[in-house]
Amino acid sequence: MKFDRVGETGPGTRMKNAGHNRPRLVLDSVEKRFARPDGEIVTALSDVSMSVEAHTFVALIGPSGCGKTTVLRIANGLIQPDNGAVTIAGSAPKPGPETGFVFQEFRLIPWATVQANVEFALEVLPLSRAERAERARSYLDLVGLSRSAQSYPGQLSGGMKQRVALARALASEPEILLMDEPFANLDAQTRELMQSELLHIWMRHKPTVLFVTHSVDEALLLADRIVLMGTGRVLETFDVDIERPRNLEATRSDARFIAMRDDLWARIRDLVLSDPQSEFYGRNLGG
Amino acid sequence: MPRVTPRQRKNTAMADNRLPSAAPGALTVAAARTGFLALLVLLWWVASVNVARNIIPSPLATLEAAGRLLHAGDLQQAVLDSISVYLSGYGVAILVAIPLGVVMGAFNLLGKTLEIYVYALSATPRVAFIPLIIVLLGLGAEAKVFIVFLGAVMPILINTYAGVRQADPELVEMARSVGAGRLRIFTRIVLPGAVPYVIVGLRLGATIGLINTVVAELYTAVRGLGGLLAVYGNTFRMAEYFVVVLSLATIGVIVTEGLRYAEQRLGRWRT
Ligand SMILES: Nc1ncnc2c1ncn2[C@@H]1O[C@H](COP(=O)(O)OP(=O)(O)OP(=O)(O)O)[C@@H](O)[C@H]1O
Ligand SMILES: [Mg+2]
Repeated sequence: MKFDRVGETGPGTRMKNAGHNRPRLVLDSVEKRFARPDGEIVTALSDVSMSVEAHTFVALIGPSGCGKTTVLRIANGLIQPDNGAVTIAGSAPKPGPETGFVFQEFRLIPWATVQANVEFALEVLPLSRAERAERARSYLDLVGLSRSAQSYPGQLSGGMKQRVALARALASEPEILLMDEPFANLDAQTRELMQSELLHIWMRHKPTVLFVTHSVDEALLLADRIVLMGTGRVLETFDVDIERPRNLEATRSDARFIAMRDDLWARIRDLVLSDPQSEFYGRNLGG
Repeated sequence: MPRVTPRQRKNTAMADNRLPSAAPGALTVAAARTGFLALLVLLWWVASVNVARNIIPSPLATLEAAGRLLHAGDLQQAVLDSISVYLSGYGVAILVAIPLGVVMGAFNLLGKTLEIYVYALSATPRVAFIPLIIVLLGLGAEAKVFIVFLGAVMPILINTYAGVRQADPELVEMARSVGAGRLRIFTRIVLPGAVPYVIVGLRLGATIGLINTVVAELYTAVRGLGGLLAVYGNTFRMAEYFVVVLSLATIGVIVTEGLRYAEQRLGRWRT
């Protein structure tokens, strides 16, 4: 069962519906190697197992280059694992409307209008032209951009561009939303507003989300569960036991939030300081 | 052969849109251009008075010559001849270069195979082929059109090819991620992304094509504006000669401005 359509919402009501707790994305002992242009083989993922249950928000954090983007690309079906198994709702992922990908760099088509950008993701679906336009409009409305439908991406601010990208990813009503550091390119203030927006949208639709971020705070604020990765593998998983609805002010000053943040930070710092490949390797950064 | 790289393209877009000093009103530009024209005419007049042996005709003498040529119909006939040669050669170059550039860009092996020959040909001075062309095609219109074609085709081909090859890999991956197939990615992402490059090629091709029109008319049966150039140049009728040069400059301006206008229409999303 996919997440709720626009309109048939009601905060909290769909939280524990059928399909909850059944994994929507499963990675089982996934291994992935790349050949660099110079012929050297790099192991991006050595043994990754994780799952994302339906209507759950999972954040993926870990140091730069540990393989987070690779996990998302495998989940979308853009690349195939060399070993191990991946399933989305029970079958092998293939790029398309079953997954919605939100990229850090927005990746909007610059010569297409906002409306056309959203519709672009719907073209493989069996929808009539009118249905497609209507669907795109309703998701632009959801992210608060109905009035910019005929604008071109170049005319929008960074936050608005990322809203368009979010609408595009949501519009195909995917099994899972894959978000790769979606707010990293935004200024601090816009980032916080977008986090609030995402919390709000999540409460309305309960999408299944795998969200990559470098920010511990962002992960704690948004996620039900945090998966901490080290180079090519999953190190630990943390449940975020802070009830919803959450919001920026209250959640960030919650004692559990603060305790978990310190905990996670210490783990990540140790991880980075003990990694010979890291620029901070062996530094004494107090702690 | 000049080509735009993505960085250059971004820089021009910035210069066009972002820098406040680069955005004077259209009226201001027109006034400044007219002022500069007046200055040029003044300099021209000064030169005509001071250079000995009437090598440079005065602006007034040139204007009178233009009147005579128009009255006799020589100028119109020459312009018509030249433009028909020019547009035929340029048109055929577009019809050949754009599809070929697209196909070369779409099929990696084909592109890699042909590109070095294209670069080799474009590095060879095309005038070198003129005697051969005359032997093969004679001195008539076909030879002229072919010479124009040969000059215009290379920049269009090379830029179209480059535009298709340098498609934004991030956009292509986005398109793949939403399930777009190869054909849809090509028509919706790659081809539109190549348009600015194609237009640069068209502009370069237009300029080289015009040059080659004159070259062709000088080398082959002496007709058109190039023909008049030869006739008046050899007989020292400098006022008439200047009329012809100015006519060529005017054609050049009209064509490039037309292409710039097309570019603006196509690139409205850039603002
Ligand atoms: N297409 C590729 N070709 C070669 N190497 C690759 C490729 N994609 C990823 N890698 C390598 O795999 C490793 C993991 O890359 P990945 O992009 O998944 O990291 P990441 O965790 O997303 O990093 P960041 O936080 O910087 O975005 C890196 O060492 C990277 O250099
Ligand atoms: Mg990444």
